[in-house]
Amino acid sequence: MDYVVKLKNVTVSYLQNRKGVHSVKDFILKASFINPFQKNRVLHNIDLEIYKGDAVGILGPNGSGKSTLMRTIAGIVKPEKGWVYSRVPVSPLLALGAGIELELSGNENISISLALTGNYSKDTRKEMIEKITDFAELTKEQLRMPAKMYSTGMLARLAFSSVMTAQPELLMIDEVLAVGDKGFQKKCMNRIHEILDNGATLLFVSHSPNEVKEICKRGICLKDGRMICNSTSDEAADVYMKLF
Amino acid sequence: MPGKRSYTIYFLIYKNLQLKYKHSALGFVWSLLHPFLYLLIFLIIFSTAFPQIKNYPLYVLCGMVFWIYFSGATTQLCNVFIKNTHLIKSFNLPKIIYPFTELGSEFLSFLLALIPFMGIMFFMGMDFTWNLLYLFPVVLLFSVFVFSLGLILGSLNVFFRDIGILWNTINPALFYLSPIAYSYEIIPDKYRFIVKYNPLYHFLEIVRDVLYVGQAPSLHYLNNCLIITTITTVLAFFIYRKTKNGFISNI
Repeated sequence: MDYVVKLKNVTVSYLQNRKGVHSVKDFILKASFINPFQKNRVLHNIDLEIYKGDAVGILGPNGSGKSTLMRTIAGIVKPEKGWVYSRVPVSPLLALGAGIELELSGNENISISLALTGNYSKDTRKEMIEKITDFAELTKEQLRMPAKMYSTGMLARLAFSSVMTAQPELLMIDEVLAVGDKGFQKKCMNRIHEILDNGATLLFVSHSPNEVKEICKRGICLKDGRMICNSTSDEAADVYMKLF
Repeated sequence: MPGKRSYTIYFLIYKNLQLKYKHSALGFVWSLLHPFLYLLIFLIIFSTAFPQIKNYPLYVLCGMVFWIYFSGATTQLCNVFIKNTHLIKSFNLPKIIYPFTELGSEFLSFLLALIPFMGIMFFMGMDFTWNLLYLFPVVLLFSVFVFSLGLILGSLNVFFRDIGILWNTINPALFYLSPIAYSYEIIPDKYRFIVKYNPLYHFLEIVRDVLYVGQAPSLHYLNNCLIITTITTVLAFFIYRKTKNGFISNI
């Protein structure tokens, strides 16, 4: 079968400031002759193929490289070694609070996130804005308020709706479902299944093995930047549970 | 980049302008009041101090309007990557789009402020001649200079946060080191080199050639400005290319 995304021997490193060197003064005093940056390896030699229609759950403890893996696939982070092949338009990464400007109103945020994700015609834009506000279940009044007055759940609704209304070919979700209330979570689940039924591919980061088992067939478990399991979601959930 | 991204660029500029003015009662009027306030101070305090400068109010205003554009834009650009952390971390857009749109919004406020100020300049005795058309290339060149300088500051500021603090300190000092409220000829000979090596001096000269004297920019200073802008642009893209992949782990 044809892959949608293929990672070949991908290694990602971050340049990190050495401890304590955060200013030019420190740089001169402490480390003038040493490079102030050190490489911090976040992902080690990841090989992964994702096929069309796959639903892949990504599990792992905090700091194991899940978000970095997602960002690498989305093309936001460039790998140090190895290659990322992608056959779909790179989708925005849906993470909590992504692209939400707290000073602006809900309406304005929706327009901006549309502008950042794609190039739509004026009519589609109008239609999508309607769908988004419908999905978010926020009142007209709430949509006129600046987003800084929103609760965490309302923010998640806003962020989630902007991405969920489109029919992306590759949907990437990074730990956002946990915040909304039960009703909204259920709605999102239904929408995810709908998007999957339409032939999309899903990458789903979560801390809840049950959610992963429910949505995904495949599962990956990361630990310290290494892939310790790449199999069915049941197996990945087992491996994940045994880590603690 | 334009074309495919024009819609994104448009909305990012719109967002910047909204963020800048939305929550202030006077909004855009501030970008007019700011130079005006300074202008008043200089008129009251210094107009008698420099009797050798003909039409002092016009002289100050020309420099002041461009200075405020310069200092505002570079300060904003200094923090541009840090400010847009959440966008950089979740959207796969070329990162240069953020400084580009930041300058775009500053540029628009500058242009909008320029219109009423041109009116005021007219009342102060500026001549309306065809030579004023030289303002377009001058503003464009100045904007490229501001952008490249801001890109250098912004890229480095991601890694060393004191670049931002340092710039905030230098900024007001630079105002007094630039011949805005005084003229180059007033400085004693032995200190003139300080002003001469200040890139702003050369830009101020061509700005005032057009707005104050009412002639085409003198080739000598225009030449200097072109050289300065070329150097900063090359440097900016070199630094940006070197550093851009490290942004995400340091913002």
